[in-house]
Amino acid sequence: MSGWERHASSGAFGDGAVRTYHVSKSYIAGTFALHDLTLEVKKGEFVFLTGSSGAGKTTLLKLLFAAERPSEGQILVLGRNIARLRESAIPALRRRIGVVFQDFKLLNRLTIEDNVAVSLEVVGTPRREARARAFRLLKQVGLQHRRYHHPLSLSGGEQQRVAIARALVNEPEILLADEPTGNLDPELTIEIMDLISSASTRGTTVIVATHDHNVLERYGKRTIHLEGGRLAEDTPATGAEP
Amino acid sequence: MKRFGAILLSLVRSGFRGLQSSPVTSAVAVLTISVALVLGGGFALLVSNMGGVLERFGEELQVVAYLEDGLEPDEARALADSVRTVEGVAAVALVTKDEALRRFRETTGGGALLEGLDQNPLPASVEVRLIEARRTPEGLAVVVSALSGLPGVSELAHGQEWVEGYARFVALVRTTAVGLGIVLGIAALMIVANTIRLAVYAREDEIEIMALVGASRSFVRIPFLIEGTVQGAVGGGLALLLLYTGYLLALPQLEYGLELVLGNVTPHFFGASGALTVVAAGSGLGLLGSATALVGARSGS
Repeated sequence: MSGWERHASSGAFGDGAVRTYHVSKSYIAGTFALHDLTLEVKKGEFVFLTGSSGAGKTTLLKLLFAAERPSEGQILVLGRNIARLRESAIPALRRRIGVVFQDFKLLNRLTIEDNVAVSLEVVGTPRREARARAFRLLKQVGLQHRRYHHPLSLSGGEQQRVAIARALVNEPEILLADEPTGNLDPELTIEIMDLISSASTRGTTVIVATHDHNVLERYGKRTIHLEGGRLAEDTPATGAEP
Repeated sequence: MKRFGAILLSLVRSGFRGLQSSPVTSAVAVLTISVALVLGGGFALLVSNMGGVLERFGEELQVVAYLEDGLEPDEARALADSVRTVEGVAAVALVTKDEALRRFRETTGGGALLEGLDQNPLPASVEVRLIEARRTPEGLAVVVSALSGLPGVSELAHGQEWVEGYARFVALVRTTAVGLGIVLGIAALMIVANTIRLAVYAREDEIEIMALVGASRSFVRIPFLIEGTVQGAVGGGLALLLLYTGYLLALPQLEYGLELVLGNVTPHFFGASGALTVVAAGSGLGLLGSATALVGARSGS
């Protein structure tokens, strides 16, 4: 354990769910998708990640669920150092993190109930229990009547709700959402954001990447603005609630 | 334990779902494996039947030592006694000149051929049966060499050359079968590996999603191995069915031909263990093929 890790795990950074320390990510030598990023997100906090396309929002999210490794610096997610995490330890970390993608990433040959249950089945939850919990989540997102439908027969908004149900079904400690409302009309956007926000009220740390200003204003949460891979602005929550 | 069972069930379900989702590629893999096994299994069946014939020859294998003319009955009996002491000899029967003549008359229906002769031209002989361990071309050679030096023996008759030739032929067929089996096995393995690789590519998105929700590398991979094993077992079963059908169709001709050449020989099909071996070979091919396909494939994280 490095000095920084000892420092971090001793609680010197407070009760952080996510801590990055001088993190850089470079895909091509000399150019940075993220550059020297240091930030902390506390447990249970709701944070928006903003910035134009290419600002580094998706790269940061990928680093947080270990789809990528940092080129430099250290990242602690739920106490695990992503930079040094063994390949075999990644699944266990991901089971503690729910991820919602802009393109939903649903399994088209499974029913939506099975899509939600899959997060539980990979950790050995008996099928009956997994399906019962999946049904409860589908009920929460208002899709219980479509449990046996396949994703491609659903609208974009419905598919995104399934993705959120899948991300939340195993009660993750962190919920990451990458442009979850990118393809949706304003009405559906509010519906989806309300669902994500409700996870935060139950104690889940939520990080949402978005460039939708209406959403930012409506929810008034802490906003981390990235520009060219660097931290440009970190605005605290305004306390406004929708 | 409950958790392990749930994971196992989920893996098996996922494997079968994979088979359902790509029926055409699965059918190609099954057919490839069955073709390879029909050819390999056909040769194995042939070798097994030929080995049976060889065994039968062995049972009937004997050496006949013809005795010199003019040997007194006492001397002939003494010679027979000394043959009994040769290593590898199980039983010895002395056939006198009179007995030889009687047998000749019996087999030729009266022995009209010998009627003009004033004396019996047939020699006395000693018929030697071998112990089981010596009923091979090599064992036979050892006994023949021991007998050939005995005084009073004029000539030895045995089927050694014929048996040796047949054994060489069986060995050749066996080697060809093994060689062909290896070549066909590798070909089938490559085709199965490519078929599974196609399935892996076709389901790359699915594999990625599984990994993103926290599936371990083995959770993602095992369904593909199950898929390959099931394809292999089905291919093995199909091969067995085809072989048996072929065997039933060919049996009348086969039986007649064998009877004509070798006497009362009954062809046989695989027993239960042989049949299981064919199915197991299919499963093994499928499993190995899918394991080969997964080497280097992006399946996880």
